[in-house]
Amino acid sequence: MTDISTGAARSLPQRARKSRFSAKAVLPYIFILPPVMYLAVFMFWPLARQIYLSFTKTRLINPSRSQFIGLDNYDRLLASPDFYSALHITVVYSVMAVVLGVALGTIAALALNRPFPGRTIVRAVLLFGWAVPNVAASLVWLWIFNERSGVLNRIVTGLGLDSVPWLTTTHMALPSVLLVTVWQVAPFVMLVMLAALQSVPEEVREAARIDNADKLNIFRAVTLPHVMPTLQLVSLLVAVWSIRRFDIIYLLTGGGPIGSTSTLIVKLRQTAFENHDLGLASAYGVIGLILALSVATIHALFNRHRAKRSMQ
Amino acid sequence: MKKQFLLSAALVALALPAQAEDKVKLVISNSQWLDALRGEQLWAVVKAYEKVAPNVVLEQEAIPSKDYADRIMTEFGAGQGPDLAIMQEGVFYALADAGMLVDLADVTEGVALNDTIDNAIVDDVTLGVPWQRAVYAMIYNKELVDQAGASVPTDVEGLIASAKQVQEKTGAIGFTARHQINDFSGWSMDFQNWAYGYGVHWVDDEGELTINTPEAAAAIAAFKEVYDSGIIPIGDDMPTQRTRFKEKQVGFSMDNSGGTLNIASGGAMQSANVMASPLPFPNPAAHQQMFISISANSDHPEEAAAFLKWLISPEGQALMRDASGPDALATDVPVTEEFATVNPWAQTFADLAKSSRSTLIPGHEVETNQIMRPVMQAVEDVLIRGTAPADALAVAQGKIDSMF
Repeated sequence: MTDISTGAARSLPQRARKSRFSAKAVLPYIFILPPVMYLAVFMFWPLARQIYLSFTKTRLINPSRSQFIGLDNYDRLLASPDFYSALHITVVYSVMAVVLGVALGTIAALALNRPFPGRTIVRAVLLFGWAVPNVAASLVWLWIFNERSGVLNRIVTGLGLDSVPWLTTTHMALPSVLLVTVWQVAPFVMLVMLAALQSVPEEVREAARIDNADKLNIFRAVTLPHVMPTLQLVSLLVAVWSIRRFDIIYLLTGGGPIGSTSTLIVKLRQTAFENHDLGLASAYGVIGLILALSVATIHALFNRHRAKRSMQ
Repeated sequence: MKKQFLLSAALVALALPAQAEDKVKLVISNSQWLDALRGEQLWAVVKAYEKVAPNVVLEQEAIPSKDYADRIMTEFGAGQGPDLAIMQEGVFYALADAGMLVDLADVTEGVALNDTIDNAIVDDVTLGVPWQRAVYAMIYNKELVDQAGASVPTDVEGLIASAKQVQEKTGAIGFTARHQINDFSGWSMDFQNWAYGYGVHWVDDEGELTINTPEAAAAIAAFKEVYDSGIIPIGDDMPTQRTRFKEKQVGFSMDNSGGTLNIASGGAMQSANVMASPLPFPNPAAHQQMFISISANSDHPEEAAAFLKWLISPEGQALMRDASGPDALATDVPVTEEFATVNPWAQTFADLAKSSRSTLIPGHEVETNQIMRPVMQAVEDVLIRGTAPADALAVAQGKIDSMF
């Protein structure tokens, strides 16, 4: 009898502990459920659907009547010179956007990291490009680039030079699109890099100064290693955004002239909405996805390499 | 008393939604709803039907013309979209091909429609009713042309000479026309005027796609001659070109009747100062045909059909005429004398409508956009790189052959 009652007394708190433990265990899952649901509905499902569509013959206006065709869309893609041209332009555009955007943004951040009168105003002005929506910015730049009455050509002709066909020649269109891209991207890079620069401990810099290190050496040995992870992350972001950027390119040039600014995403749009070929358009999308994942993988490998070195 | 008031208020509140539910809502999509003046006028025509059928409420779905094809096809493909869609011929054929449009035989039966209905009959089934047909012509600012002492051109050399004269004597822009690939849809339709003007058909007698022809090369060469002559404001998009014309800054332009009506209405330009003449090409030009069709996804196809029946009735067509300028309609309703007097350019468009051709390639209506992409790239190649037209067209022919 006594045993039984003791056993019951022992099991009650145990049960309570167990139920508390269960609630504790379940709670995090409840918290992450909404974002998981969001990602599942708005990212993973469309992504899985896109990958599936790339193996089908699907018309835009009859997506339910699709037909599985295996790798045919990829065969068509790899046999098309337009695809290689679009891939080449995407890579050139993305690399240049990263190099120029990150370099300019970092230089601006370094300049703004030291105190000078009016720094807050300059910072706010420099952020303007990032704050303006892409579509509005593109439409404004369309006017700036206008061959006849655009501001840029007013300046160029004012200097006694011939007006420049910014968007209407193959050799100028991509640089012009890049100019707008960098104008949009650099302020974001600047903002992120500025935050990273401000987190560099002043005492480490001070120590380097005491050791007679000059400014270049302080930057190379102290500042750069400290901000390197941020620099890599921001480069990754700019690269992925550039691979999938559509609005600026489409509004400025529509992929022209003669396909000179036709990136994978512009070709995707053209294939899906002009040719109504959702299957082939999805194959373009999958290639873009692979490209973006490759960049992310390179970033991850860099990170691992850095982590290993710091462990040693 | 208070109780009675509350009771009646509750009854009214219950009755209101019931009344609204009794009415059938028909959604009509159109890019023209967004046009500054014309949009309001056309919507007023459509809304007049609510007086004829009090059980119907009409609601508009306004989509910018640049996005119209993408949006409407995506909506239809998803099993949604408006009850009635007003669309360009290209979109109409794509939807017809996908079996997304309702047979309108009952609507058009016994109605004396003109030949604008021809292209709405696909495989002997009437899938649309003509909304408007906008024909292309050369329009010019009479005041500027007179001031420059220039003549109205009848060929490309004359156009370049007259436009240069206007430029030199008045400082205005000589000539405007679409010329950029970022406006592919509009430019490819406009370019058909040059192609048709030089006798291009894009298909041979057997219906085979023949892109690389001497006629097409001549059309591209003519376009390049104009492009290189310095009379076009390179880089200006179509809305800017139209605004410039409206602001009296342009001598000559190539535009359709709808665009011209917009230019001549509600701006600095007096309609009496706008004149029109045939395009300066040896052969007749193109037109943009718009149809209105009932979606197969509509929950109210009968009410939508009744609306269309009214639209092509004498009453509906008379109202459409008032809002459509000189555009050809589903039935032969002449422009009023008053309209013709105020708008001297209108008659030229009405005359040109008799011989104009569709911008779609016969037998390849659904694929016209797909075919025109390499063609327009060939035009760009000639304009920008100076490639010989025949060589650029040979590349386009190769691409098209590999596609079909």
